[in-house]
Formats: sequence, C-alpha cells, structure tokens
Amino acid sequence: MTTINPSRRQFLSTMAAAAAASLAPPSLLAATRAPAGRVAVGLCSQYNRHVVDVLSTMFDQLGGLDTLVRGKTVAIKLNLGGTPTLRLGYLQPGMTTWVHPQVVGALVHLLGRAGAQRIRLLESAWLTTEPLQQFMVGAGWTPGDFTSAATRVEFENTNYLGSGKTYARFMVPNGGLLFPGFDLNQSYRDCDVFISMAKLKEHTVAGVTLSMKNLIGITPCTIYGQNVPEDEPALIPTGGRYLLHSGAHAPPKSAPQPIDLNAPRDDGYRIPRATADLAAARPIHLAIVDGIYTMVGGETPNRHSAPIHPGLLVAGTNAVSTDAACMALMGFDPMADRGAPPFERADNTLRLAEQLGVGTRDLTRVEVAGTPIAKARFDFRKAWNTAV
Amino acid sequence: MSLNPKWVPMRWPCGPIEAARIAKSPHPDSGIAQPADPWANPAALQLLKGTPINCLVVDWAAGTTDDQAQQRALAPLIAAGRELGLSFVGKLRSGEGLAANVAAAATAGLEAVMLDAPASPNGSATGSASATHSLALPVILGFPRDTIDWARTTQIFSTTANVWPGVVLPTMTGDTGIGGPTGDPWVDSNGWFVLLARRMAPHRSLWLEIDLPPSSAPLTAQSYCRAIADSRAYGAHWVLALDDATRAGILRAHPQALATWQSIAQTLAFFGDHPEWPAFEPMGVLAVVSDFSGKNLFLSGEALNLLSRRHVQFEILNRRQAFAAPVTGLKAILWADDDQPGSVQLNHLLAFIQAGGLLIAPAYWGPAAIEPRQESWLPGYSIYNLGKGRIAVASGGFSDPYQLARDTHLLVGRQNDLARLFNPGTTGCFTGIGPGRRKQIVHVVNYAERASRFLAVWVNGNPHQASLWSPASQVPRPLDHHPESSGTSFELPEFSVNCVLEIERIA
Repeated sequence: MTTINPSRRQFLSTMAAAAAASLAPPSLLAATRAPAGRVAVGLCSQYNRHVVDVLSTMFDQLGGLDTLVRGKTVAIKLNLGGTPTLRLGYLQPGMTTWVHPQVVGALVHLLGRAGAQRIRLLESAWLTTEPLQQFMVGAGWTPGDFTSAATRVEFENTNYLGSGKTYARFMVPNGGLLFPGFDLNQSYRDCDVFISMAKLKEHTVAGVTLSMKNLIGITPCTIYGQNVPEDEPALIPTGGRYLLHSGAHAPPKSAPQPIDLNAPRDDGYRIPRATADLAAARPIHLAIVDGIYTMVGGETPNRHSAPIHPGLLVAGTNAVSTDAACMALMGFDPMADRGAPPFERADNTLRLAEQLGVGTRDLTRVEVAGTPIAKARFDFRKAWNTAV
Repeated sequence: MSLNPKWVPMRWPCGPIEAARIAKSPHPDSGIAQPADPWANPAALQLLKGTPINCLVVDWAAGTTDDQAQQRALAPLIAAGRELGLSFVGKLRSGEGLAANVAAAATAGLEAVMLDAPASPNGSATGSASATHSLALPVILGFPRDTIDWARTTQIFSTTANVWPGVVLPTMTGDTGIGGPTGDPWVDSNGWFVLLARRMAPHRSLWLEIDLPPSSAPLTAQSYCRAIADSRAYGAHWVLALDDATRAGILRAHPQALATWQSIAQTLAFFGDHPEWPAFEPMGVLAVVSDFSGKNLFLSGEALNLLSRRHVQFEILNRRQAFAAPVTGLKAILWADDDQPGSVQLNHLLAFIQAGGLLIAPAYWGPAAIEPRQESWLPGYSIYNLGKGRIAVASGGFSDPYQLARDTHLLVGRQNDLARLFNPGTTGCFTGIGPGRRKQIVHVVNYAERASRFLAVWVNGNPHQASLWSPASQVPRPLDHHPESSGTSFELPEFSVNCVLEIERIA
C-alpha cells in the first residue's frame, strides 16, 4: 500500500530529481520519471453525513490521514472562484461551481480527528480583502460549521498580503515554463501540509479545472491582477488575473518576472503553463476533488452550462495523477493534446506539469483504489449534449 | 387650494411653447407639431382613461411672446380635463410677470404651478417662502438635485438633474454588461436620492423630472416602466414624459406605441393599487449620517448610491438633527461628514459604541488614551476599541465614495445583511418594513432591457409566508422559500422590470 507522502523535504527531493531530469530536454524523459501517486475514487450520491464516511474510506485507501497531518499545520486551498452571489440557476454555488461546504466540513472534521494541530482554510476571495469568513457568508455559507468541526480552524483570504509581513516566494524547481517563481501570501509557505480541494469541472480555456488549476487562485491579485503598480504589489486587489491570462503586462518588479516577455499572449498557452509552474512551485500533498454535484459547460455559470450529478469524490497524493484520474472519470483522455477534447483551446496542463516532473498523467502507472474508473465514469460531454 | 399628494403626474406638452421646442429639436419630423396640435385637443385626454394619471403638467409661461397664445390654446383642454376629474399644474419661469401668470393660471382652472427655485447668493437653489406665499396658487418648487436646499422644499417639490434609470451604455457590449468600478455593470438609479429626500424632507412628496435619453427611436416599454418603478419603489413620482417618437406613434395608433402606453398604464396601476407601500420605512442596521448639503452632498450622496449598488440596506440620518437622544436599533453608523458631532451627539455616539456599536468616521473623537490597531484586510483605517464597540477611522478622512461604500459594507459585515440578491446582475432592491413590523416588502428593479432570470432574494430571519406581486398580475403569487444560512431564500420567476416580494414576518 502506498502511504501518503507527508514530507515536504521528500517532495522537494522529488522535485530536484525532476529538475535534474529536465536537463535532458525531451519531455518524454521527464514524463517517464515523473512520480505517480495513488488515487482513490469514492461514490457519494449526496451532500450529507455520508461524505465523512466516503472520504474517510478514501483516505484509508491512500494510506491514512494520520501520518500526513498529525501535529501539523494543514492548509487547504478551497475552490471558491468568482463572486459569491453568482449562481447557476437557483443552485447554491456548492452544487455547481464551488466545492461544497459539506465536503469542506467533512475534511476539516477528518483532519481534526487525525490529529492536525491547526487547519487553515485558504482562498483568494474575488476582488476583495475581506476576511474569508465574510466572503463565505456572502455566498450563504456558515463558517461556524467549519470552526466547530475541529479545533483551531482558521481562515485567510490570500488575495493580498493578508496577515503576513511579506509575501512568500516560491520558485519553480527547474525554472518554470512561464514564470520562474511566484510571490504568494505567506499562508502557502507557513504550513506543513498543503491540500488542494477542487471541483470536478471543465474550463472554457484550460479544458479542465481540477486540483492543479485550483492553484491559479493562490496568486494574489495585488501582484497578478489588473492595474497592479509597476514596482510593488498593490495594497488591495485591483482587478482579475489578466496578467496570467494575457501577459499584457508584467507583475510588479518586486515579484519574479516572466521568463519571456514575448511569450504568446494566447491564454490557451499561458494558463496551462502558469498552472503547471504553480503546481511545481507549491507542491500539493493531497488533492481532493468534489464531483458529487457539479456542472458542465465551463467553470462559472453561463448560458451554456448546466448542473450535473456525477456522484463522485476523488482524492490522491499526486496532483497530476489525481487530475488524470479525474479526467478519465469525466470521459476525457488525460494523454490528449491540444485540439482534442477537452483541450480544444489550450495545451494540456497535465502534460506540462508532467514535463516539470510534478507527476505522471499516465494512468497505466497510477494505482486507483476504491471504485474502478470504468464503473464510476460520468461522461461530461455526453451530459452536456443532453443538458444544454 | 392645496397640493394633493395623491397626484400621479404626467407632462402634457402641447401648444405654441411645445411647437417652438419641436421646431428646434434635432428630430422635427415627429408628427407632434401639427397645425391642429392634437395634444391640445381635449379628445387627446381619452388616452388617460382607465389610467391612474390624474394630474397633467402643462407649459404655462416660458417668458416668451408665445405665453399668451399658449394659455389660450390650453383653455379647452383644461376645461375638458377638469370635467374628467383631472388636475392641471402649470410650469412657469420665475421672473417678471410671475404673479400675473399665476393669477391667470388660477383663473384658467390650474391647481398649482411649478417654479424653479431661485438660486441663492451662495449658489444653492432656494425657494423664497415669502415670494411664493403671495401667489394665487400653491407652488411646487423645483431644485437641481445637487444643490437642493432641503429646508425650502414645498409640500410637493421636484428635482432636476436626475438620471435616466438603466444600465449605463458605455458598460454594455451588445447585450452583455461589462464591469464598472464595482465589478458589476454600472447602473444609474435615482433610488438612493428618493430615500434621501424621504429623510431630509419628511412628509413631503418628491417629483422627479428626468431628461429622456436622446434618441430618434421610441424608448422601449421596459425603459418607461423602469423609470416608473425606480421612482415609485423608493417612494417618489416620476413626472411621466413621453418621447417624441412614442407620442407620434400613439397619435398614429401605431401598435408598438400603444403597447408601450399599455405597459406604462399597467405599471402605474400596479403601484396605485398598493397605496400602503410608500408607508413602509427603510430598514437598516446601518445609518448613514450627513447633512447631505453643500460640499458634503457629493460624498455622502454617492456613498448612498454605491451602498445601494451593493444592496446594503441603510437608514439615513440628518446630521443636524441626529443623536439628540440615545441611539437605538442600529449596529453601525457611518458619519460621512468632516464636521464633528456636537457635545450631546458625541455623548450619545460614545455610549452607542461602548454598548457594542460600530462608528465609521473620518476622524477620531473618542477618549485620548486609546491606542488604535490596524487590520490587514482594511488598509487605511485605524480601529479603536471602546467598550464593547469599535471606532473605525479612515486615515486622512474620506475621499473616494466607492471605497467608502465598500469599506463600510465590510466593516458592518455581511452577517448583518438584511437582504442579498443572488445572480443580481443589473438588479437593485429596496427593503421596507411596515407599521407594526409584521410585514416586510422587497422591491426588486431590473435595470437591464433583458428580463431578469434566476434571481434569488435572500432576507434575514424566518418569514411566515411570502407572496410575489408583479405588474403583469392582479393577484399575488405564493412563493416557495427555503432556509439558507441565517435567513431565507426566495426564488423569483423571470420578470421583465420589477416585482415586489411581500413577506409576513413571524411576530
């Protein structure tokens, strides 16, 4: 049985190996050496108390949560993109675009039960410095549900400097594809275990948005947003992350500058690379993807999207492998390249992350525990053709 | 003779003064300025049959050589209108011959006159009570709204320089709204000003005069209904005015123009059928305090506007009258003016803070010994803890009303929201509470041309039952609701311009 890798040092050594491999240019070489992580797939039909049981079983299948989190500070990057008042139809955001509070609460409970010393819920709340709890309240959430699910639960809005005195710098081990590194809210450094909790969704640009794409939201808009100052970060977010999408301007000089200022402006080129760079720079120890209820047709509500009910939870110790399993569960081929679904508009983020040595997308190398993918598959495009 | 607060006014341009205007307009081929002047013909009044419109505002004297001819041309119309139960208000230009013109208006059967308030030496628009008292008819004084002198308002008063309600066109690409400074499409509304007028001129009626957007094409029915809803929902009357193309279309019995007129009449009737709604008082745990005059009006007024855009419900307090007694029923106070409170006011404010209240102010007025702290999420503010409450002081005072509205909302906290809209897009809302606090209403206005879909309204607390009123239906529709966090959510069906949620509260 594979155990969850709890050690950042171990992970960084893996990164170093990947970086060494990258000296040999063919990406195939890196791909063959990229680590694989076990993935657990659980069937869960509703957001209710059953979520705790399913997640608990999945974590056991991954080797147990205790060894990963006992006595540690655990940071969870939630997936709460966009404004809290935007909904698909009348559905609450947890049913379509955001991770569901029931899943968040279940995870917090299990982390507390496994001995986590401190649990920090993180998200870069859209265009605001308001405390994350306030942002959640604006969406109809009750943050008290999380603070009562375990001891010492904290919240931080990471869209700006936050409670830290300086930004934390994360360098991409092999120099990166688009950025050599990033300046982020210190919460992403001051943790022992980093969890990315994402929604099982497509993305209009990147094809899919899963545990790795969730990391685009760790970049503070005070540095990577629109209208940022030339030299230093803004005090408050001043606009969306157009810098990552279009490269129309550089981040403030205080932050690592783009590798190539003349890199393509195409967001289908840029967003997958920025995502892969982030996944390499800020390693994910545990990827969790909520696909109990979600949506097809994009990552945020629009006239081409519709709610769906895959009834799935996915977790894994390697973000690339987990996202690869998610893609297969969605009816996509994680080995697909640009032009093939769901990458009609973009390069395959998983391939790029694999190239950086983050993990393998080759499911023949990934052990899948729990429900087999073939039995749990929910074809997103088929569902879209039916629903929209 | 006195001003009637139940008047539902409409501009009724006709006669030589209107003909002169048409001749100067960029679209003279409107069909209005015909020799027979059909709008001066008493037969035109048939248009009003079955509508709540009961007061016509006519040009009476513009200070030109056309004035006498104008008054002669109106005589048959006024006589016929009075037989139908209509009231007439004459618009006059102040100046030489005013008293004579008003006397002539009284003789002709007009019931009031509208005058622009003469400018005072300091530039604000004032109305001289002594000058108007001597006139033969009651006066409706008109003020540019950014220089209004609240103390001089008449029983019915009007304002100009209002905005045409809707989504501001530069923030639209096709039918898609693009972000304004709030991140949402920018919406123009007079709602905040009407709420302000209700507080600053209580028990008086505001008539909004709004310049129609320049266009040679007829305005849409939605556009007219929105202008009605944006004023009536908050408690004022728009002095209904039709664009030239619609007027021409009505004369020609053009189906689209007649349909527009039907929609206008329906929306007016909708509000007319609910005379109890204007008595509902604004709800808010936040009070915005200012004298809303002179140099203070821009910042404090714009803060009201932008708080409204965030759907923050608030009360308005006149700084010159507020806090003569202990503060009750509030959780937060935004003191928007640089002017400091008087000693009695300060004592009551400090007691309010000691008891757990929040004061947001441009300067610190509390005890000297308290050291402030900073909150990382609120750059530019010093927070002073005082008793159970806080004073949040903006470094360097307030300057940006957008920032002020945002910071105020965040400081007060979303947990104190009284109402929220989900999928709000370009909609706005106003929440009022009825006498006895048993019934609450939420007016919802859609400022886009496209119908509002999938809008959910959340209100705090647990209602007993709720129903939805819309202009398209004479009976309310029961509305399902479900609990959500500390409140209740209502899923509104698709609607075009406006609807009203009526909520029975559990006592």
